[in-house]
Amino acid sequence: MQILRKSNWEGFEKTRKMKRVDIINAVKKSGLKGRSGSNFLTGLKWELMGKGTRYLICNADEGEPGTFKDKFILENNPSLLIEGIAIASYAMDIHSAIIYLRGEYSYLKPKLEKLIKQSEKYLKKIKLKIKIVLGAGSYLCGEETAILESIEGNRPLVRKKPPHPSQSGLHGKPTCINNVETLANIPLIILGDWNNNLQLFSLSGDLKEPGIYEIELNMPLKHIVSLGKPKNEPKAVYFGGSGGCIPYQKFRNLQVNEETISEKGGFLGARGLIIVGKDRDIVDISRTLSEFFVYESCGYCTPCREGNFRVVELLEKMENGKARKEDVKLLEQLAHHISDTSYCALGVASTTHLKCALKYFKKEFKI
Amino acid sequence: MNKLDNLISQYKEGKCELITLFEEIVNSKKYIPFEKLNYLSKKLDIPLAKLYTTASFYSLIPTAKKGKYIIRICNNLSCNLNGSESILEMLKKELKINLGETTKDGKFSLELTSCIGCCDSAPAMLINNKPYVKLDKTKVRKILRELK
Ligand SMILES: Cc1cc2nc3c(=O)[nH]c(=O)nc-3n(C[C@H](O)[C@H](O)[C@H](O)COP(=O)(O)O)c2cc1C
Ligand code: SF4
Ligand code: FES
Repeated sequence: MQILRKSNWEGFEKTRKMKRVDIINAVKKSGLKGRSGSNFLTGLKWELMGKGTRYLICNADEGEPGTFKDKFILENNPSLLIEGIAIASYAMDIHSAIIYLRGEYSYLKPKLEKLIKQSEKYLKKIKLKIKIVLGAGSYLCGEETAILESIEGNRPLVRKKPPHPSQSGLHGKPTCINNVETLANIPLIILGDWNNNLQLFSLSGDLKEPGIYEIELNMPLKHIVSLGKPKNEPKAVYFGGSGGCIPYQKFRNLQVNEETISEKGGFLGARGLIIVGKDRDIVDISRTLSEFFVYESCGYCTPCREGNFRVVELLEKMENGKARKEDVKLLEQLAHHISDTSYCALGVASTTHLKCALKYFKKEFKI
Repeated sequence: MNKLDNLISQYKEGKCELITLFEEIVNSKKYIPFEKLNYLSKKLDIPLAKLYTTASFYSLIPTAKKGKYIIRICNNLSCNLNGSESILEMLKKELKINLGETTKDGKFSLELTSCIGCCDSAPAMLINNKPYVKLDKTKVRKILRELK
């Protein structure tokens, strides 16, 4: 796997002989885009950073259901990440970096802390302090401005943009927020011979061999799914909890990338693919996913808080054979209202799965 | 100086986060007792209401008393497809409690959690901070027996 390559601080040493702007240009030219699923050009994000004291936050809050690729990097090649953080900090003239590690991964913290200590020799050269802040169980805190609120000690409500964190982020200072996989790729870009299309996919669900696979973008869906060895004929592929789903049979030859999945109404996001087998009930799956959003909704705005609660209620009625004819229509309307009117991206994406299910598997919602 | 007071002085110097103070209390008490929140409020000069609304936001920071072992079972899609419901039912039966409750002897609390990133070893759960994966009934019984 490309992501398991070692750099042993060679990439870092190479950048020490480069001008900051040249490092940023190299990252820009590489085409690396945010691997959180943001797909934002990383070099551009770095270039847009405001002046003065600034911060780097490595987003290790990985909370998307069915996604565990950042954990894979943290467990199997954390030194590449630390080096990536160092190069990014050097390129943006940052002297304070924070790894925001989700509370559910707290068992990874001691090893990471040790590694940061062992890297002191290099970090000192650029006067960089890296510290780990442990999250405490909140999917929303993976959102870049909610992280800021969490670190600042506030109830994490998503901030309005603008100002963007690149201008006013942590403690009002310019802040760059990048995903673990994004930063881990930086040393490899600097070393060269790096393939931007090789990305980590988390495969799980009705599979005999679930796990992390490094896959080249544009591979046909059926090849990706076959790597995980389906237990039986797949019915649908879900993209995490918030990226919706597509039917497997119909799109088995689809070349998987951000655009092709979006065209079908889904969102590839952080490439967490949950494969659902032929005997599964889509209404039941929709309820499981909507329950996640009810649980993780911060409660600030009505569409997301009440809407998803009602969605679960309707789905339960359908499962229990108590739904009325008009309930399918109501469900459809709710799904759209929630995504159209929610305050933050969590609510906006909370019904993508439902809209896809209603688009491709409507028959199953009939009562 | 105890660990909490030490962290409090670090917090005042801007070297540690509020959430870290909460976590330290939870590490030793399994939840944040009201007295501790009050103590923090006085020491940090932050209104109690603000501390409460912040702490209570997080699923790993309970504000009500919990058992010695907090079992958090994942019921997100990958775990659900791999039988987490039946593990949950079994836990309820073995422990004779419902979700959100604590056993009479104060040993176990039972909760749900969102995905814990162990979807390739589903079904999975956390007990305190430790993940337990590829659960089946025999394994769960053994885990419960071994936790003293
Ligand atoms: C509800 C929500 C949860 C998110 N969770 C994460 C997460 O766990 N990890 C992550 O890297 N980005 C997450 N993001 C995206 C971040 O807001 C941000 O775009 C990302 O960290 C930027 O990193 P990148 O530029 O390297 O992609 C989340 C966004 C939303 C709306
Ligand atoms: S959409 Fe609204 S209720 Fe849902 S998480 Fe965002 S702000 Fe909170
Ligand atoms: S779905 Fe249970 S650990 Fe991810």
